[in-house]
Amino acid sequence: MRKSLLILFVIFVTVTPAKSQIVNKIPLSIRQTGYRIEATLDPSSKTVTGKMDAFWVNKSTDLVPDIQLHLYMNAFRNNKTTMSTESGGLSGYKDADSGWIDIKSFTDRYGKDLTPGMQFISPDDGNLNDLTVLKIVLPQAVKPGDTVFIKVNFVTKLPGKIKRTGYKDDFFFVAQWFPKFGVYESVGMRYSTKGAWNCHQFHANSEFYSNHSVYDVKITVPKEYAVGTGGILISEVTPDVNGKNKILIYRAEDIVDFAWTAWPGYVVYTDQWEHVKITLLLPKERTDQVDRQFKAVKIALEYFARNVGKYPWPYLTIVDPPAKGIGAAGMEYTTIFTSESFTGVPSWYHLPEMVTIHEFGHAYFMGILASNEFEEPWLDEGVNSFWEERIMGQYYGESEGMFDHPWLKIGDKSMSRLSYINSIGRQVVSNNEYSWNYPHGTYGMMSYNKAATWLYTLMGIIGEETTNDVFREYYKKWAFRHPSGNDFVNIVNEVVKQKYGGKFGPDMNWFFSQTLYGTGICDYKVVNFYNNKLYLSDKKVNKTDSLNTIKTGSDSLYKSVVELERAGDVMLPVDVLVHFKNGEGIHESWDGKGRFKDFTYTGASKIEWVKIDPEFKIRMDVNYINNSMTEEPDRVPVRRITDKLISFMQFFISFISL
Amino acid sequence: MKIFHSIKSAVLRTMNLWKGGLIIWISSFLLVSLLAMPIKGAMNSGFGKSMITEKLVDGLNFEVFADMGTAFKTIMSFFSVGLFMIVLVGFILNAFFTGGVFNRLKGSSGKFSAGEFFSASAKNFWSFLIISLIISLIILVLAFFVIGIPLAIVGQSDNSPEGVLFRTGIIVISIYFLLLTILLLVADYARAFQVTMDKNLCFKAIGFGFSQTFNTFLSSLPLMIILLLVQLSFGWLVLKILPGMRPANGSGVFYMFLLSQMLFFLKIMLKIWRYGSVTSLMEINTLRDNTSEISSESDF
Repeated sequence: MRKSLLILFVIFVTVTPAKSQIVNKIPLSIRQTGYRIEATLDPSSKTVTGKMDAFWVNKSTDLVPDIQLHLYMNAFRNNKTTMSTESGGLSGYKDADSGWIDIKSFTDRYGKDLTPGMQFISPDDGNLNDLTVLKIVLPQAVKPGDTVFIKVNFVTKLPGKIKRTGYKDDFFFVAQWFPKFGVYESVGMRYSTKGAWNCHQFHANSEFYSNHSVYDVKITVPKEYAVGTGGILISEVTPDVNGKNKILIYRAEDIVDFAWTAWPGYVVYTDQWEHVKITLLLPKERTDQVDRQFKAVKIALEYFARNVGKYPWPYLTIVDPPAKGIGAAGMEYTTIFTSESFTGVPSWYHLPEMVTIHEFGHAYFMGILASNEFEEPWLDEGVNSFWEERIMGQYYGESEGMFDHPWLKIGDKSMSRLSYINSIGRQVVSNNEYSWNYPHGTYGMMSYNKAATWLYTLMGIIGEETTNDVFREYYKKWAFRHPSGNDFVNIVNEVVKQKYGGKFGPDMNWFFSQTLYGTGICDYKVVNFYNNKLYLSDKKVNKTDSLNTIKTGSDSLYKSVVELERAGDVMLPVDVLVHFKNGEGIHESWDGKGRFKDFTYTGASKIEWVKIDPEFKIRMDVNYINNSMTEEPDRVPVRRITDKLISFMQFFISFISL
Repeated sequence: MKIFHSIKSAVLRTMNLWKGGLIIWISSFLLVSLLAMPIKGAMNSGFGKSMITEKLVDGLNFEVFADMGTAFKTIMSFFSVGLFMIVLVGFILNAFFTGGVFNRLKGSSGKFSAGEFFSASAKNFWSFLIISLIISLIILVLAFFVIGIPLAIVGQSDNSPEGVLFRTGIIVISIYFLLLTILLLVADYARAFQVTMDKNLCFKAIGFGFSQTFNTFLSSLPLMIILLLVQLSFGWLVLKILPGMRPANGSGVFYMFLLSQMLFFLKIMLKIWRYGSVTSLMEINTLRDNTSEISSESDF
């Protein structure tokens, strides 16, 4: 431990520029990696020239013979890279549009050339055309506790068709631009049974798994450019010696990636939420959306702080890219993220708010709780979507969170459930796949929507406050570390047991085995109910009946039966509400395990209606229509819809006829 | 002055034609019911005895419909095909009845006769259908050239500044509405002319429509703009009232139905008023032309 602290101190003294300040007084993470980068943007050649000093500390007990780095900009090199092929090819790509990163020199701290040990590897698919992972066999293996220092000179050419990163004219979004260490997983870390580098290629649908790092980044750009980064501005020199550029020095601590953007067209706004200074960069035509963006992010900051844990950094940067940079929209880099909107977006369409809240949420799920997006995308996107939907529901309306127009109202969480239940591929694979292994285009539906839907279902079973406790505990235990899906499940098991004892069994694994690891669907249905009038000779109470009350003095007595069925494979405990004509209601609990369940009652009143899951807690249920039954269904809404349809068609025909 | 005289005269003519409006309303209602009623039945069948319709009390809820599964897809497929057919038949039916309407509007003040109305509709049907089709086609082509192409060019351009698409959209739609106003004048003049002819002279009528529109442009265009502004205001009112109505009980739905049908009837009458105004203006202008011809002849 002392050795580690000593190493950290040495690193700090070595790597941190003398004048830079510390963002947080106490390090939030163990800072296993760190980067000092000098980057110069050349807008004419669309390149970033970089000089990088970086370190990696071997925290394992292994002798590590090599290091592995992401060179993700090489994913844009040609149409044969893994990202390109997974995306179905980069259509319309010209050579000028390609993106790449070239290593000009690679040495250790003493200047010893390490390039002879360099080789590109493709651990995920063996694609020899994919140059996104670089392995460097070191002259000497790294001993436990030792630190590897590297010095790299590189040139990064940004891609012309922006896909998360790239440029368009004078707009630049610079992400995945420098050589970045993979994560060395020692035994016992996540699912590792032996120490190894976890350094995936760049894929169409995932890109994050990194150590929390310290970044000191010096950026040189033309002086007319406005710049936003994931760091805090330490100093600015304008102009530089040439009189054309400005030099900006940033520092970021304990974040998993460092991205930045530069564009002369940005208008910059700032606001404050508690300890967080929020900076917003957006095109001048969208200044009417400034308040919307600040409101949304403040809501998210407040909600996460209250229900998960503190946002630990004192700053946050939001970028709303211009239309020509739309390819960079909706991305997350912990302390900087991109929203998505367009000029004139109406106030009833909450797309900007939804994207802002979602991308901010990644500061927690992937940023602070740095799970492996490649291997467990649900733990990143699914969990984050769940929180996004909760926030949108709470602040923008459960039923109108996404669209809030008098003619059309759609809730954010409804869209998620609809995507899942309507997908023909909803059972093709479990929710626990590597991001590139989801077949038939099911990645988005599975990672985002199914996961969010079963997390809602979990909340329906264990309750909202317990769910919040789960996430508070998850944050407390795993913040600035690398949790796995199992770690999350274990937290759920611990918290639920603490709250409910054995109510749900020894653990909640039965839930996850069906939802996270299973492919079954959930569908409970009311098959039938009936009321049989009893004759005098029959008027004795069957002890086995689920009898509630018998009205004495009543002329009639009924034997009423409710028939329920589990039509899907997923077995979940469900509430059943049986309502009688005399206004009484009986709440039943069904463990949901059997294929069918009958409830029998003897009493003076007849059953009027029956509902399974009356509060719609089981959002995984693929069909809510068969969850209830009544003798006299309410046809008024259908009549109303039909009448409106008639009017709509009449007006429409009249409108188009001259 | 001519404009207001035409508008005023058209009000009187329209009021005399309320029975014609009623015929159009009934036929329109019956036509759309052919599609709406089976859909209502399918929805009721899809929901069965479920209480899920409670979730529709506050308006359309897509989750509820999505849970219908294949039944919903079948309904949507039936609806889209049915809507196409209904719109097509509605268009033809409208062309048919417009013949009767224009015939009745040409200055006659006698008692309304359904027989005469249908007879005139039948007599002018082919001409009116062709006029409607040609003008509609021109409107569609114009939409493609005036709105579609500029927006596509601006939208495809990577170099266009932020917000240009939005601003271009507003400009081209404004231009399109101006052109639409002119084309509606042409159509109305053509039909008003056709009913004065004994034969079906649809192409001559369209030619007349164009010449009359441009010969009397300074009076015709303001008239049509006024008429369309009134209709747009009415349309705005309808959009404000109807979609937001969510009665929760049977009688409420019935009143909503009555109100919506009354509004639609008013819409029909406003359209007849437009036809009447253009007809009246045409009559005034023709009378003026004849008078000036006579006076010019007398000058000789």
